[in-house]
Amino acid sequence: MHRALISLCSVSLLLSLTSCHKQSASKSGDAAPVDYMAIQKKAELFVPAVGKTGGEIILSTFSDPKSFNPITATETSTSEFTQYMYEGLVRINGVSRLPEPSLARSWDISADGLTWTFHLRPGILWSDSVPITAADVEFTFNQLIYNNDINPCSSRDIFLINNKPLNVAALDSATVQFKLPVPFAPFLRSLSQEILPHHIWAPIVKKKTFAQALGIRTNPDSMVVSGPFCLQSYISSQKVVFKRNPHYWQKDSTGNQLPYLDRVIYSIVQDQNAELLAFKRGDIDFLAAKGEDFPGLKKDEANGSFTVFRLGPNTGANFLFFNQNTGRDSATGKPFVDSVKLSWFRNVTFRKAMAYALDKESMIRIVMNGLGYPQWSPMTPAEGYFYNPSVTTYLYNIKEAKRLLAEAGFFDKNNDSILEDKEGHPLEFSFCTNSGNNVRLKIAEIIRKDLESIGCKIHFQQLEFNSIIAKISNKPYEWDAVLLGLTGGSEPHFGRNVWHSSGNLHMWFPSQSKPSSTWETSIDSIFDAGVVELDVVKRKALYDQWQSSAADNVPLIYTVLAEQIYCINNRIKNINPSPNGGILHNIERLYVETGAHAR
Amino acid sequence: MHGEILRRLAIAIPQLLIMTFITFLLIDLAPGDILAQYRFDPRISQKTIKALEDKYHFDKPVFVQYGYWLVNFCKGDLGYSFSRNAPVTAVILERVGNTFLLGIFALVFTWAIAIPLGVFAAVRQYSWTDRIMSFISYFGMSLPSFFLALLLMYLIYLASGIPLIGSLPISGMVSAGFDQFPWHRKILDIGAHLMLPTIVLTVGALASLQRIARGNMLEELRKNYITTARAKGLPENRVVYGHALRNAINPLITLFGFSFSDLLSGAALLEIIINWPGLGSCMLAAVRSQDTFLVMGSMLMGGGMLVLGNLLADVLLIISDPRVRS
Amino acid sequence: MSRNFLHTNRAFEKFKKHSLAVTGLWVLVFLYVCMLFAEFIAPYNLDNGNRALSFQPPSPLHFIHNNSFAFPPVVHPLSYRFNQLFEREFIEDTTLSLALSFFTAGDAVKLFGCIPIRHHLFGVNDPTGTTRVYLFGADGVGRDLFSRIVYGSRVSLTVGLAGVLITFLLGFIIGGMAGFYGGKIDWILMRTAECFMLVPSFFLMLALRSAFPMNLPSSTVYLLIILIMSFIGWASFSRIIRGMTLSIAKRDYVTAAKAIGASDARIILVHILPHTMSFSIVSLTLSIPGYILGESALSLIGLGIVDPAASWGNLLGGAMNVADIQYHPWILIPGVFIFITVMAFNFLGDGLRDALDPNR
Repeated sequence: MHRALISLCSVSLLLSLTSCHKQSASKSGDAAPVDYMAIQKKAELFVPAVGKTGGEIILSTFSDPKSFNPITATETSTSEFTQYMYEGLVRINGVSRLPEPSLARSWDISADGLTWTFHLRPGILWSDSVPITAADVEFTFNQLIYNNDINPCSSRDIFLINNKPLNVAALDSATVQFKLPVPFAPFLRSLSQEILPHHIWAPIVKKKTFAQALGIRTNPDSMVVSGPFCLQSYISSQKVVFKRNPHYWQKDSTGNQLPYLDRVIYSIVQDQNAELLAFKRGDIDFLAAKGEDFPGLKKDEANGSFTVFRLGPNTGANFLFFNQNTGRDSATGKPFVDSVKLSWFRNVTFRKAMAYALDKESMIRIVMNGLGYPQWSPMTPAEGYFYNPSVTTYLYNIKEAKRLLAEAGFFDKNNDSILEDKEGHPLEFSFCTNSGNNVRLKIAEIIRKDLESIGCKIHFQQLEFNSIIAKISNKPYEWDAVLLGLTGGSEPHFGRNVWHSSGNLHMWFPSQSKPSSTWETSIDSIFDAGVVELDVVKRKALYDQWQSSAADNVPLIYTVLAEQIYCINNRIKNINPSPNGGILHNIERLYVETGAHAR
Repeated sequence: MHGEILRRLAIAIPQLLIMTFITFLLIDLAPGDILAQYRFDPRISQKTIKALEDKYHFDKPVFVQYGYWLVNFCKGDLGYSFSRNAPVTAVILERVGNTFLLGIFALVFTWAIAIPLGVFAAVRQYSWTDRIMSFISYFGMSLPSFFLALLLMYLIYLASGIPLIGSLPISGMVSAGFDQFPWHRKILDIGAHLMLPTIVLTVGALASLQRIARGNMLEELRKNYITTARAKGLPENRVVYGHALRNAINPLITLFGFSFSDLLSGAALLEIIINWPGLGSCMLAAVRSQDTFLVMGSMLMGGGMLVLGNLLADVLLIISDPRVRS
Repeated sequence: MSRNFLHTNRAFEKFKKHSLAVTGLWVLVFLYVCMLFAEFIAPYNLDNGNRALSFQPPSPLHFIHNNSFAFPPVVHPLSYRFNQLFEREFIEDTTLSLALSFFTAGDAVKLFGCIPIRHHLFGVNDPTGTTRVYLFGADGVGRDLFSRIVYGSRVSLTVGLAGVLITFLLGFIIGGMAGFYGGKIDWILMRTAECFMLVPSFFLMLALRSAFPMNLPSSTVYLLIILIMSFIGWASFSRIIRGMTLSIAKRDYVTAAKAIGASDARIILVHILPHTMSFSIVSLTLSIPGYILGESALSLIGLGIVDPAASWGNLLGGAMNVADIQYHPWILIPGVFIFITVMAFNFLGDGLRDALDPNR
């Protein structure tokens, strides 16, 4: 216990030292922004109370689960449910977003960082009372994840390091050893990978029917789990019910079996209005609210039946980016991007001018009802440890935008209120975003007017999400500027696809054989170094540098993040709201006040 | 007469199928296809996509595809909905019931209110009540359903302090947590959710029915046998409600079938606005996600309901008017 | 000729007595005139917003200023902040007063698309553009709802007329042919028409719309909607024209025309269709609301006219979110205009029916 744990300790110390950097667009006289860093600090010191066993919590979701199979699942609607059912060797702490022991009690790392030995907790059981052993781990990796018959497999890519599988072997029933081809820093975090029971699934794998297993029509009783809850029933477009797993490994400080709750019920709701109403009536216990619903909820909070929490910026960025592809179509020899436009888009001064021209404050006020935060770099505060708060910012400043454009040679030479570049080409380009996302559409509308107001001529288009992705990632890369969004994550390396110049999601110039600019070269080397750097502090320094460089070179011009607004019924106790983890991260310790059944 | 009904069905069904073919062509014309979302998903292999293409013949010309659809349709299989991950038949059956529920509620309310109002207006022709009612019916006829629905949502919000009205649900068919309710609360819950759409649909359909009822009644009251009855010295109430009313309502019964089909198609837009899980909102979602089979199924179902409504009208006519039977 | 004139004259006298119809006509005349002069009547441009006035309520007009009656009324600059509940709280700055004025200089526009003007019917003289008079309040990005409704009327008020015109032509040609020739042509045409009537019109509208890309520019969508609506509408209209043609074709003078060798086209166009005219006018007037509602419905659910272009349906689309209606109820106002226009057409159609129907 080991180097990993020691470095974990130093991380949390470091986290609490991080400067309290409040970034919130607010006008004088406005309602106060929330000090989410203070809430986070409080959350880290939270000591859970000893609860009472029993009761249930009712949550809501918009979409039906598509399967309960954590290996083949590709959509988030599945992991929303499987997170209750399965645990990995480690789990990600809901407050710190850092890995902590779960099925494994501890681990040793060899000096070269290539051999990791995990010691399972003694006496832990599957929900059908069969012991959880190293054989289950070996089975999950060797026969499920690395089994090419099982398609799709969402986690296979993560565990192929330099395209090579890990060597996974059970040394004895409680010890499992991983041998890595090269050091892999995010390894520990990726071991939150769900482990599945060997004794249930081995015969199914032999029959080659595992891809269909754990579907929505599978008998819930056959789903043997290690997590706090087992599936009890699922009724299409009505509800998903989980019951407590009596053999879950966690116990509270006085030795009571966790979880406290008998049941977690997901009510499948039709729309946000229905969800809001049901929450206000007490029919559901938890609500993730939008900014425009905040006033109404805050007023009703006074009645005392629920509490509203503002927890700082959410994850899930929206960003504007320009096509910087210098490639040529191999068939026709024509450049993908018109050379005039390419010279603008590849000019960092131009991109900075665009960044200054975006009225982030208005986006927050208009789209998010004042409840939002500007974003400047790829990571968000809610993503925890690796977030770098001190990067270059581009507060809305038309003067500065115009000055930078002038510096880049753009002037309105013929007084038509459209700028022209040095050669006299009008600053004219297309701009598109996907339809179907209301928040993003409204942001795009504001961006369009912002860019027009500094003298760009914009051809705005809404496209289906799929067609935008197709345009960005396929030849002939026919696009100029796009507003899109990505969901974030706590581990920077998992964004390699976007940030490494060879990545296929390196949207401004995907799948480069050789980085096309010096700053891309340096970001490439950060990602190459970061993945093998096992010292967490040195790693943080690397990724800090990446975030600074991303903000300085603005390949992606970030816009705004919505505030996390969560409401929870007051009958639910032991809640520990955390900007990093939200409200439900400690669901196994949530309990219901007895006698509070009247709704 | 039964022959006539059969003959009409014999024409209507091929016509419906022609409509589905036109729809099929239209969707084929539209850019992109249902598998597009899979094609751009790196996690789904080319093999899977090819298998899906083969299974549903997406690689074949549109006529061949339609042929396959038709053959499957005859077997009772409407295809698979990719956006909902379920057979189209299952999706649609679930939705049709909800649309029917709404339609029947609106129909009952419309008739229960419109006929008495129409008769009343006719009996008191040119009175103030008649005039006010005819003005109100203009009002109801001209008030777009989507606007009325939004207005009612706002009114319910304004009434939020008032018990019952203030807590009326404004969207969807069931509350969240519906499955937890005891049966009696389930019924109340659906009833409460039915209030807003029923009011909207009733207001829309009320006007014309009321006017027709009034017209029929007036015509009946002018007829000779009424004059005779009055001359015989029968009490006025008996003349009006005993003799005239029955004859005035008979022709209306044929309207029942037609107005049912009208209501069903009128409900489609409303369903979208208030998120009612019926056929209309299903159709919109299907169109948006280019879910060909689901669009086809919804069109077929919508058309089928119209045909059914018209058929109902014919049958009712036979029952109500003995002259037609011969 | 004189009989015809007498008939027209009598119809006109009858129409004049139908007070609701006359009111409807005047309302429509007013709306269409406003539409023609949209650039002049709207104080602000279609896309001219001030974000600081996001969701500003309708500007309070102060007819009492400094304890005396003021005309034109006075407006004060408005600004807002979020209170502790994150509600927009608008505050009037009473230290600054600007009188509403007429023929005010403002956005440069082109009347009828060609005559450049700077002056608008009314407005406030604030060169900074921060004080604005928003009669119907503002939308989310601070644009004048009144101006957008005035501009939006160009779509909403013309879509019905254009649609009806196409329906009219299609219905006349198809219905006239079916009724005149009878036999197989009649059978085929009418069975085809029935196909279109067998599917609920809203479903058909969605299916037709889905055949075209969702991201068309608003001007294209506008034409598309007109086409779609007439494509749906022709069926029922042509059926009725067919019925009337059938009965007129049996009359003596048509037989006489045939006998002297008039061409089919001449008989249909000169001898038959004019007799269906009074009916057609009534029926088409009464079907205009259907087109207006159809456009609104498509735009409302996001398949029609899209921002920054405006139509009444698209403007009402901003009210689809319950939270928006609750906090900014004025965004429901475009619906009132749809309602008034539809009602006016209904009144007008009824009046015309009463006036033109010889049996009444």
